[in-house]
Amino acid sequence: MGVLLEVENLTTEFVTRGGVVRAADGVSWDVGEGETVALVGESGCGKSVSALSIMRLVAPPAGRIVGGRVLFKGRDLLALSDEAMRQIRGREIAMIFQEPMTSLNPVLSIGRQLTEGLEIHLGITPREARQRAGELLAMVGIPDSERRLGQYPHQFSGGMRQRMMIAMALACNPSLILADEPTTALDVTIQAQILELMKDLSRRLAVAMLIITHNLGVVARYADRVNVMYAGRIVERGTARELYANPRHPYTLGLLRSVPRLDEPRRARLDPIEGQPPDLTRLGAGCAFAPRCAFQVARCAVERPRLVPIGGGGHVSACWEAANLDRAVARSGAAT
Amino acid sequence: MNHDAPLLEVRNLVKHFHVGGGLFGGRAGVVRAVDDVSFSIRRGETLGLVGESGCGKTTTGRCILQLERATRGKIVFEGRDLTTLGEDELRPVRRKMQVIFQDPYSSLNPRMTVGQIIAEPLAVHGIVPDPAQRAARVRELLGHVGLLPQHARRYPHQLSGGQRQRVGIARALAVEPALIICDEPVSALDVSIQAQIINLLEDLQAQFGLTYLFVAHDLSVVRHISDRVAVMYLGKIVEITDRKSLYDAPLHPYTKALLSAVPIPDPALEAQRERVVLGGEVPSALNPPSGCVFHPRCPIAVDRCRGEVPELREIRPGHRAACILA
Repeated sequence: MGVLLEVENLTTEFVTRGGVVRAADGVSWDVGEGETVALVGESGCGKSVSALSIMRLVAPPAGRIVGGRVLFKGRDLLALSDEAMRQIRGREIAMIFQEPMTSLNPVLSIGRQLTEGLEIHLGITPREARQRAGELLAMVGIPDSERRLGQYPHQFSGGMRQRMMIAMALACNPSLILADEPTTALDVTIQAQILELMKDLSRRLAVAMLIITHNLGVVARYADRVNVMYAGRIVERGTARELYANPRHPYTLGLLRSVPRLDEPRRARLDPIEGQPPDLTRLGAGCAFAPRCAFQVARCAVERPRLVPIGGGGHVSACWEAANLDRAVARSGAAT
Repeated sequence: MNHDAPLLEVRNLVKHFHVGGGLFGGRAGVVRAVDDVSFSIRRGETLGLVGESGCGKTTTGRCILQLERATRGKIVFEGRDLTTLGEDELRPVRRKMQVIFQDPYSSLNPRMTVGQIIAEPLAVHGIVPDPAQRAARVRELLGHVGLLPQHARRYPHQLSGGQRQRVGIARALAVEPALIICDEPVSALDVSIQAQIINLLEDLQAQFGLTYLFVAHDLSVVRHISDRVAVMYLGKIVEITDRKSLYDAPLHPYTKALLSAVPIPDPALEAQRERVVLGGEVPSALNPPSGCVFHPRCPIAVDRCRGEVPELREIRPGHRAACILA
């Protein structure tokens, strides 16, 4: 499996009233061909900004990509002309957003929204585009597609709109789809439908996916590899199985422990991560998670840990105590 | 007061909304948001009310609070039927019932400080008329919800999401309510903060003997916090029982599908798990299906389900479900 997308030291800043915020602070990660990779973290951790930076959709003047490279099929997207980037956006790399209603045009018919991209990117006739649009709707499980093409977004339910977004994303046979919280706004049973659909289509069409989410359950079921982000940095990465079975960053561990699970006996009390997420305008020199960390040592406050390998298989963690974490976990587990 | 009687009893609650037929035309219709719902909550208990958007769970809560007047049915709170009371008689009752909303940002006045927000109900209800005593009470309430005295001078936008929800909880606690309706209180919060707020709600319940109606769509959270759970679908309760029976031995096919749709944060387990993925979508409450409202999506429906409205009947002791096949 070759590397499709390689993000190197990507740094994106925003100017806010409180000061300059590094929303993505030197992050590096990659996606292989046909692979599903997750970026997990809470609001403000930089996961969405990472995706927007890849698409060069960070809005100036407040937002700016200040460093790094985004290699897609070997070409640095950050060095492309605007025109060349337009050829990639929507065609080779497509995006699916959380709230489909705000990303669909309310005054254009479903058919027109689908055919527009096809005509522009693929240079096909309106008639061919119309036919392909019908096929796409059928592919994402929207029945009666001929009639549906003439309808407008408000006539679609939330689940149908997200199917429509997936159809739009797939329209030009992209090799990568960036999905930003694709099911967060949907009901549980519809969420399951959409995720199964995305998984099935990505396998069948061999499309790679980057799923951005805060939901650890979604990640467990659908991702091959996982990057955990906190305060603009990646703090841990590994295969989904390795990361869940053997978390080596206190933040990952905290996230996994704080959620109640249906497959486990009910606990008398939940184990939250104490404290609040940090103010990104006031990050110190140390590890950003240290003030909330149960495992912190003196070094954590003054020196920021870098990602280092843990065992094998590409598992990395940015924690000074990573090597001791499994023993510490065993101890605290025995204590509670 | 009789402490064995339930604190709240909802009997055959019906709430219809009339839509369309107005200025801009459109066909007039009736949305059956809540369609013959009955349950009770004992003092100190937490009843979880789960279901997907549009199932009527929030409307049920609003009818209890008398923010919506019921079309039919009774809301018996501390022995009195609230649906028969006028505004003046309701005012003292409203103190006893409070609500915590999903999004504390839109339910807190952005121009008021945290201190003013929490003090307002104390002044309005005349609970603590003296300003100095009121300030002391605000400090005490901030302490109960894990905030510091200096937070009283801040504005909502200066707080994090979790801190804002703590302010919402302090405001609800201020009037010393008996019942708190928690309407998706953690679903807008980050994962690491959700657990903090759930623990806080449990601590406060133990400390002040609170009774909760916990309205949510997250089944894992509902399992953690509830003593009993009711599952709603399209305006009706389809299953109601104690927590253990509902999660260990669900009877209604909708409950089973909901439970199966929740992804479990363990890739090894997920890989082997069989999933019941429901087809279709929740039908419109304007035009609900005949018979059992769930039959068009039900994986085990038979012909009878199309014509017969299933009764919510006791299938095992204390475990009721509305399914003819259960």
